[in-house]
Amino acid sequence: MRLAFILSEIGSGIRRNLSMVTSVILVTFISLTFVGAAGLFQLQIGQMKGYWYDRVQVTIYLCVDNSSETSCATGPVTEEQRAAIQTRLESEQFAQYVDTVTYESQEEALGHFRDQFANSPIVDSVTADQLPESFRVGLVDAEKYEVIDEAFSSEPGVDAVSDQRDFLEAIFRYMNWASVVALVIAGIMTFCAILLIATTIRLSAFSRRRETGIMRLVGASKAVIQLPFVLEGVIAAVIGAVLASATLWGASRFLIDGWLVKTFPQTAFISSQQVLILVPALILLGAVLAGLSSLLTLRRYVKV
Amino acid sequence: MIRFDNVTKTYDQQSHPALDAVSLDVDRGEFVFLVGASGSGKSTFIRLVLKEDRVSRGAVYVAGQNVANIPSWRVPRLRRGIGVVFQDFRLLPNKTVFANVAFAMQVIGKSRAVIRETVPDVLATVGLEGKNNRMPHELSGGEQQRVAIARAIVNRPGILLADEPTGNLDPTTSMGIMKVLDRINQNGTTVVMATHDDDIVNTMRKRVVELRSGCVVRDDAQGIYVGDPGAELPVGAE
Repeated sequence: MRLAFILSEIGSGIRRNLSMVTSVILVTFISLTFVGAAGLFQLQIGQMKGYWYDRVQVTIYLCVDNSSETSCATGPVTEEQRAAIQTRLESEQFAQYVDTVTYESQEEALGHFRDQFANSPIVDSVTADQLPESFRVGLVDAEKYEVIDEAFSSEPGVDAVSDQRDFLEAIFRYMNWASVVALVIAGIMTFCAILLIATTIRLSAFSRRRETGIMRLVGASKAVIQLPFVLEGVIAAVIGAVLASATLWGASRFLIDGWLVKTFPQTAFISSQQVLILVPALILLGAVLAGLSSLLTLRRYVKV
Repeated sequence: MIRFDNVTKTYDQQSHPALDAVSLDVDRGEFVFLVGASGSGKSTFIRLVLKEDRVSRGAVYVAGQNVANIPSWRVPRLRRGIGVVFQDFRLLPNKTVFANVAFAMQVIGKSRAVIRETVPDVLATVGLEGKNNRMPHELSGGEQQRVAIARAIVNRPGILLADEPTGNLDPTTSMGIMKVLDRINQNGTTVVMATHDDDIVNTMRKRVVELRSGCVVRDDAQGIYVGDPGAELPVGAE
C-alpha cells in the first residue's frame, strides 16, 4: 500500500512539474554525455597505449651521404661500422633490453616508402640512396628506450636514434586534452544539473506543501514524505543517463565502427561494445547526483 | 494524557514568552477548552504537544512520555496518537472527501481493505454519510470542517487537538461541529480545543483553561469564558 502510494505521489509530482522534470532530464543527459565522452577518450588512450607500446620499435638510422651528425663525419656508414653496431646490439650487454633486431637496407626502405606514399607524386622523385639504412630494434620493455638512445646515438656510422613513442605521445597528449576539455564541460553541466535538480525539488516541494504538511500531522514517516521527491529527481536523472548512454553508443557505432575503423585500419580503436561498460557507471552517477542534491534540498525545504 | 510541567516557551530572547511557566494536567477522556485572546499562547500549547517546537524550559509529557526525549524518527509515532483540526480545514482541494480522509491512512501504510472499511464509518461519525465523492469546494464550511475532523480521528488517536475549529463558521454550524467533537470525546478521546468563542464555551460547560500573555489565569472545571474582560457576564453565569 505504501509503495503504491509513493508511486502515485511520484506520478502526480512529475505531472505537475513536467517542464522542470524535462529540463532535469535534458541537463543530466548532456552532462553525462560529456562525462561519458571523457571516459571514452581515456579508454581509447589506454587501448592505443597498450596496442602501440607493445609494438614500439627504436629505429637506429645509419649515415647516408649528406648526414650532418658528427658521428657521420666519415660519410656514409661503412661495412665495418654497420657490422660493429649489429654485433653490439646483439651482444650480451644489451640482451636484457633488446628483443629483436632487423636490418633494413636502402632498397627495403624505398619499398616501404613507396607502400606508404603510394598515392603521392613524391614517390617518383625518391631514390634508394636518399633513404637511410636502419636497424629496427624491438625492445623487451618499451620504457627502456633511453638506454638504446644513449648507447648508440654517438656510435660512428649512426645518424640518429628515433623512438616512435615521441610521435605517439604527442597524439596521446592531444587526446588527453580532449578528455580534459570534455571533463570540464561535464563538470560545468553537472553543476547545472545539480542546481536544476535542487530547484525542481524545491518547486515540487512548494507545490505539494499542503500534502506534506498533512502527512506530518497525521504521522507519516520521514521516508514516506521525502521519498517521492527524491525518487522524482532520481528517475529524471536516470532517464537522462539512459539517453546519454544511448547517444554515446550510437555515436561510437557511427563514428568508430562506421568510419574510423575503416579509414585507419592500422589503429586500434575501442569498440562500441566497450561503451557498454560506461553505461552502469553513468546511470549510477546520475542517480547518486540526483539523490544527494534532492536530499540536501529537502533538508532545507521540507520540514519533517 | 497531556501534562505541562512549568513550561516556558520563548520564540526570541527580546519578546515576552509565548508560554510562561505553564503547569497543566489534562486527564484521559477529558474535554478542555483553552481560551484566551489572540497571542495568549493557545497555538503554542498545541505546537508543543505535537513537538513542532521545543520548550525553552520545563517539560511536556504526552501519554506519560516527555516529548523532549522522543528522538526525531519517533516523532511520527507521537503524531499518530494525536489528531489535529485547524480553523482553515487544510483539506486537499483536488481529492474527494473519501480520498482526503483515506490520505491520512495511506501515508502511514494502512492497507486498502482497512481504508475501505474504516473511512465510511468515520464519515458517518461526523455526519457526512453519502458525501464520499464530493470535492471539498462543493461542501459548506461546516461540512469541510467535518471532513477535517474525520481525517484527524480516522487513525483513532487518543488525543484530538482543535485549534479554533469554529473560527470560520457561523454560530449554528459551530454548534454542529461542537456536537461532533463532544461525541468523539464521549467515545473516549481526550479533546483539547483552543477557541475564543465565548458562546460555545458557555454552552458546553466543560473545563476551561484561560491563558493570558502566556500564563494560566484560570482553570475551572465547568467554566465560562468572557472574551472581553470589560463585558458583562452572560445571564445565568456565576
